[in-house]
Amino acid sequence: MIISVNWLKKFTDIDLSIDELSTLIGARLVEIESVVDLGAKYKDVLIVRVENASKLEDSDHLNVVMIDDGGATTNIERDESGFIQVICGAQNISTGQYVAWLPPHSIVPNTYSKGEPFILESRKLRGYMSNGMIASAKELDLFDEHEGILVLDENLNAGSSFAEVYELNDYLLDIENKSLTHRPDCFSIIGFAREVAAISNKAFQTPDWLMNASPEFCSDSSMNVEPVVIIDDPELSSRYQAVVLSGADSSKKSPIKTQTYLARVGVRPINAVVDVTNYLMMLTGQPLHAFDYDKLVSVGDGKAEIHVRSGKDRETLELLDGRTIELDSSDVVISNGNTAIGLAGAMGGENTAIDDNTKNIIIESATFNLYNLRATQMRHGIFSEAITRFTKGQPASLTAPVLSDAVRLMKEWAGADCISGVIEDYPKQQSIIDIKFSVNEINGILGSAFSLDEITNTLINVEFSVDKLDDFNLSVKAPYWRADIHIVEDIAEEIGRLNGFDNINSVLPKRYFTAVRPNPFDDFKENLRSILARAGANEVLTYSFLHGDIIKKACQNIGNSYKITNSISPSLQYYRQSLTPSLLDLVHMNIKNSYNEFAIFEINKTHSKNRGLNNEGVPVELNKMALVYSNKDLMQGSSYYKVKNTIEYIFNVIGFKAEYVPIVEEDNIDVLPFEVRRAAVIKSALSGKVVGVIGEYKKSVIRGFKLSEYTAGFEIDNELLFNEVAGEVLKYSAISRYPSTERDICFKVGSKINYDSIIKSLNKYDSVDDMTFSISPIDIYSNNDSTKNITIRIKMNSSSHTLTNEEINLYINGFANQVESEVGAVVI
Amino acid sequence: MQDIEKLSTDLLETISTSDRPRDILKLPELKAAYSAIRDIPESDRGSYGRLVNEMRLKLESAVAIRESELEVSSIEPIDVTAPWDKNTGPISLLPAQNGTKHPLSVELRNVVDIFTRMGFEAIESRQLDDDEHMFATLNFPENHPARDGYDTFRTEEGFIPPAHTSTMQNRILKAGKSKLESGGQIAAISYGRVFRNEDVDSTHEHTFYQCEGVFVSDGATLGQMLGTLRSFFETYYGQQLSIKTQPGYFPFTEPSLEFLIEKPAVLGGKPGEWLEMLGCGMIHPNVLIAAGIDPKLYRGFAWGGGIERLVMLKYGIDDLRYFESGKLQFLRKFL
Repeated sequence: MIISVNWLKKFTDIDLSIDELSTLIGARLVEIESVVDLGAKYKDVLIVRVENASKLEDSDHLNVVMIDDGGATTNIERDESGFIQVICGAQNISTGQYVAWLPPHSIVPNTYSKGEPFILESRKLRGYMSNGMIASAKELDLFDEHEGILVLDENLNAGSSFAEVYELNDYLLDIENKSLTHRPDCFSIIGFAREVAAISNKAFQTPDWLMNASPEFCSDSSMNVEPVVIIDDPELSSRYQAVVLSGADSSKKSPIKTQTYLARVGVRPINAVVDVTNYLMMLTGQPLHAFDYDKLVSVGDGKAEIHVRSGKDRETLELLDGRTIELDSSDVVISNGNTAIGLAGAMGGENTAIDDNTKNIIIESATFNLYNLRATQMRHGIFSEAITRFTKGQPASLTAPVLSDAVRLMKEWAGADCISGVIEDYPKQQSIIDIKFSVNEINGILGSAFSLDEITNTLINVEFSVDKLDDFNLSVKAPYWRADIHIVEDIAEEIGRLNGFDNINSVLPKRYFTAVRPNPFDDFKENLRSILARAGANEVLTYSFLHGDIIKKACQNIGNSYKITNSISPSLQYYRQSLTPSLLDLVHMNIKNSYNEFAIFEINKTHSKNRGLNNEGVPVELNKMALVYSNKDLMQGSSYYKVKNTIEYIFNVIGFKAEYVPIVEEDNIDVLPFEVRRAAVIKSALSGKVVGVIGEYKKSVIRGFKLSEYTAGFEIDNELLFNEVAGEVLKYSAISRYPSTERDICFKVGSKINYDSIIKSLNKYDSVDDMTFSISPIDIYSNNDSTKNITIRIKMNSSSHTLTNEEINLYINGFANQVESEVGAVVI
Repeated sequence: MQDIEKLSTDLLETISTSDRPRDILKLPELKAAYSAIRDIPESDRGSYGRLVNEMRLKLESAVAIRESELEVSSIEPIDVTAPWDKNTGPISLLPAQNGTKHPLSVELRNVVDIFTRMGFEAIESRQLDDDEHMFATLNFPENHPARDGYDTFRTEEGFIPPAHTSTMQNRILKAGKSKLESGGQIAAISYGRVFRNEDVDSTHEHTFYQCEGVFVSDGATLGQMLGTLRSFFETYYGQQLSIKTQPGYFPFTEPSLEFLIEKPAVLGGKPGEWLEMLGCGMIHPNVLIAAGIDPKLYRGFAWGGGIERLVMLKYGIDDLRYFESGKLQFLRKFL
């Protein structure tokens, strides 16, 4: 929203500099996005009188124009009368007009803030000297007007400043609307001026006409068809007023100064009738709509029975902008009899549009249900100044004074006469509530120390009525335009804001010494991040939304993904079911960026429909950790082991004992992208619960994501993992004072025998209490398809004595025998 | 026509044992069968054409099946329990000096850590929620124009990817109610990922991180809110700061404010340069009521702000899009 400071000044004195003003508004009313110095681009523009305009010979459109600048310009060529010659192509120029002249060396205003401002000069056109130019409304950057130059008011002083006469030495404030969503009154010049007065500690006086809740309209009606208004459902509209006017001249323009005010706040002047409605909307926040009354009567078969009602099924309406829309029951419709003639608050119907032949008009001043209008706005995509105001909830009391002033201006600007009394339905009277509160309540909310008098004065400045109940208590009524004031918190906001929140002392709340325990699961995840970073992996964060193709490429069932109905693009349409596809999608890009070997990981949430809803009725969220390792070059052996080594490192640090089990079925972890022959589910050795999956990816996944062959990864359910290790304390065993001994054993086993079966067998070996054994792999060798040799190192230590050779051999043989008998291995 | 059936049977058999099944689709016999259609009497062309087409479809699917069989049989199972593959040796981790944490995770942790030390419990925010938590319990009635400011996504089921971490506020208030009523306070933060339906450019993202705070006691004031926020930022930047506010509007707070700090020296700030850090306000009585807390007895304040902003200011990052790009060039700058 654009606010003109000069327009504000018509209602309140502003003696602050623009910087002070915008700082104050920023601190106590609303954020200002930018301040534009409007005057700068008009500083050289002069008002001149056209002394003579004559056709240029040999040209079908150019005129030689002599202008009087009152001698204001220096260093310029003049004729003997002191007039200046300008060649002008506008068809509407004629002698005696006052026009805006851009002298040589001035910048054409509509190029002022562009990259290359257009600077005028004196130069010859077809052999005739042309000094500067006579400007159109468009060149003056006011509004798009194609009918030649802008003809100004009569009887001005030639040579006076255009900006001064039309009050364009102005500043425009671009207001951030969002924070005024609850303040319909601030979407008007008068409302904004009231706030500006109050935040500079001045009392504001709303113009009398706007305070007049029941203004007089003409009483004698002289019409053939008497209109009536019926609001079918008071929920849709609490008040609808209308008057009929006759004799509006649609060729008439509103005053030039009014046009410049409308233009500077972004409203294009059209003609006097339309300008009256727009001008009053900007001034007061109350939108008005004018229908062609004769058309309205004609679509109603000779009657004018205006209804405010809901849209009906399959009902359609052709709007003023040429679109035909389908209505539904949440739209508020204006109809005559059964025929829809307008989409309330949003746009009029084509069937009652004002045109050049319009003689009689009916002006609507009404208020509508803001929630319905917002639904209409969203569904039909209508974002006009009017609906912006209606959706803030304009008060019912505003319709009458504004309609009354519209009648006055229609007479003054468009020559229209009011020919009806006010026609009205007002089923729900606007109620003004009493808010009773104590000074302590206000100070309690704010942490401030305002006195009863300070509170009273602040509220009176913005025209609240305040009754002092006793020395500590007040009863307050908000003015009719403050429908947002309901509770004492609203009053507290006014007091804090108008006096400056920044003047409130900031203090810390008191609390007990009790320490807050960091969230253990958060700490766990942070620990995982640190461990993975130490393992040389890089943490990524990727979008929660994916393209359906990525889900398919990862061999997942797209039906399990929550689908976004209003996604920005197809690549952000589905919730991810697991983190792995997002990571796989990054591998190729990073390889192309010359990273040959890397591991990326993410710790984040996933959602899948097959997980169902939780007890709150919202989708279950899984806390996952996934990693993908990739090496551009093909290495010896399976990439599975590279990743397994990383995850074992994590598990060792967090104290989790894992078992790797071939994938047999879909466990409670998403195994779909993984190649079952070269992947495993990760189980807790203690509880047997599956916590994740690790392995290489399916061939089709490798192709789909353009992965290198030597790629593998894992995905873990962090919550399950956390539950397994929560409360685990590192088991410490005392360091032995006696030397340890190492021996290697090589087992020859069938190629189908798992490494783990040997280790498990070794672990089962029973021995005396004071011995500790640690078992580690040395070599896995195979030169044929049927057998392999697995070499294991056993480190032995006694806490009571140095081991003898006999003892060592005894233990080693014991181990060997155990494995030979259990696994069918041969010791070689 | 019998020829076609015979040809089809023969080729299917060949395919089922072939090592390069796709080559069979290029055999001259097949080409001949296709081109033979020109020599067939017009009356029979239709049925002949159908036969040839059926054969082609059958062969193509047979090739696809055989190819996947071949692919699967070429995949050698591995011993998933072994520490390394046979005939290889011990495996090393990637160099630790290349490992990084994401700058957003680090900063989020930093923020959570300061608030924890200030006495706030931390709860991670949901990433898929419902209207009830996102709007209704926060005093946003349906079709309220303030909902416009949130540009929310929706799923087919009507769930909402939350547009603010306040989606946890009702849960936090409900969970803290008993503590409050037994003489304590509610002091909690919720943090995490939020989503807005916005086109992405260097300063806009549809996915970003927020941290939200909630404090409720029997005597919470707006002055305490300003004090709490000032204290946080002074700890975060390690210096004293000037603060100021702007009036704002959020349906779930009353009064509502935007909170600004004077740009700290560590960020190269000069006096008079202000940074808009977050939105805040006194919790609206309706929000307390929605959680079963009596607003006549208790008052609270809440705030919420973005994390990316802090990281961008800290490191001078000029483009939001890097954060979720997964580019190692970016990530490895945070070694």
